[in-house]
Amino acid sequence: MHNHSILIVEDNQTLRRLLEYRIGKLYNVRTAEHGEAALKLVDEGIPDLIISDIMMPRMDGFALLAVLRKNASTATIPFIFLTAKTDDPSRAKGFDTGVDDYITKPFDIDYVLARVEQIIKRSCAYQTKLSARIGRDFSDRLMPKTMPEVDGYRALFFSQPREDGGGDLFDWAQAGDGSYLFTLGDIMGKGLQAKFYAFSFLSYIRSTIHAMLGNMSSPAALMSHVNRMLIQDKVLEETFASLLLMRWEPDKHRITYVNAGHCRPILIGPGGAGIVEYSDLILGLDASTEFTDKTFTIPPSHALMCYTDGLNEQVALNGEQFGEVGVALSASEALAAEQPVKTMLETMLSRSAEAMFADDVLVFWLQRNA
Amino acid sequence: MSFTIQKTSPATVVVRIGKALDFRNAADFKASCQEHTRAGVRHFVLDFTGTGILDSTGLGVIFSLYRQLTPIGGQVVFASVSRPVQVVVQLTRTYKVFRQFPTVEAAFENLERSSAGRPTGTA
Repeated sequence: MHNHSILIVEDNQTLRRLLEYRIGKLYNVRTAEHGEAALKLVDEGIPDLIISDIMMPRMDGFALLAVLRKNASTATIPFIFLTAKTDDPSRAKGFDTGVDDYITKPFDIDYVLARVEQIIKRSCAYQTKLSARIGRDFSDRLMPKTMPEVDGYRALFFSQPREDGGGDLFDWAQAGDGSYLFTLGDIMGKGLQAKFYAFSFLSYIRSTIHAMLGNMSSPAALMSHVNRMLIQDKVLEETFASLLLMRWEPDKHRITYVNAGHCRPILIGPGGAGIVEYSDLILGLDASTEFTDKTFTIPPSHALMCYTDGLNEQVALNGEQFGEVGVALSASEALAAEQPVKTMLETMLSRSAEAMFADDVLVFWLQRNA
Repeated sequence: MSFTIQKTSPATVVVRIGKALDFRNAADFKASCQEHTRAGVRHFVLDFTGTGILDSTGLGVIFSLYRQLTPIGGQVVFASVSRPVQVVVQLTRTYKVFRQFPTVEAAFENLERSSAGRPTGTA
């Protein structure tokens, strides 16, 4: 509970000190002697709960509550009146203005503490639930609903976001010349913030790709655009991302890719797996970063697998991370399976220290038939 | 919070990262580094001796520090990089940006020599 902050507004110094002392044992407490002083403190940092007297000089409790409720950023701060006004009209007025509780003096401090704890718990639970819902919604929107269908190939995609996971993203688009562009990446950071940035970032990439669909021969040129945007954009300031852009020409079985610090793809064949090695610097660090297109072909009976760091950072039975090598091994064992991605993930879990993946899991698997 | 920060000269601090820099202590790391940059520190030596975990949130706060210091002539360098950290640095290709030194002493000497004769502490 120590991390929660409480603002106590009370003009009586003795009472203010008593409350500060008792409540301060459990929470971070700030105090103000009237409504005006309280508003200044709220400006500096929004508290998790306010306990306020009603009758005070300068600005009374009713006026303070009214100001807070009018402002969108302070409207939902839980608010308790602690007052000598025991008359019913005052009580009614208090509840009318949307107060969470109304405690009359003289009060039992343990009762006040119990109410504070209850209200904070409830508001936390509500926030967690809301964050989880928004997070799931972002995750859903960051992933495609369909995959390309091309003769001679199987394109598979699997995503399992975690509520406390980060900002994984995947998208694809088809160009007029029959080629496809795949975007796969990871926005650094955790939780809702990373998901939000991933969402804004992907919107930008989508529109850039759209504008460039007519001339998409160089993923590296697109990557340079995206990098400059990340560094210059004020909203996305301090956002870093690893990103893989791949142009696929199914008729030529050719992949042209640029990799900005993302987990390196794995090319799996009946004879084993190899790492698609070349990559450049991660996005968002340096505006002058140069990106290079690299090309390779997918031979018959081979699969190209791209993923995010939830796979290689998964901890294996021996206590170490799977790493690229561990992921490649599980992938090659799954090549001939009916459902290769599912099989690979099950294989990894059977070799993991924990029964589930600790982070988001995202896999894109492009397999060429024999 | 496993890291500790030690000021070795007016412009340089050594941060011993300790066991982990990840989503759990990244915000503390950022706040501590910011206090030092406000006080005029321009160079950070990050000591990764024995560091087992550097996740993307941890790497992100190091990147923020780099983005903040580079325009004002500051540097972030890595020292005594452990194997798990080396893997992350290789994957993200950030060895192109963060110079690495075998020891904290070697990193510190290099920074002091390269900033000698230049005024420090002011942008």
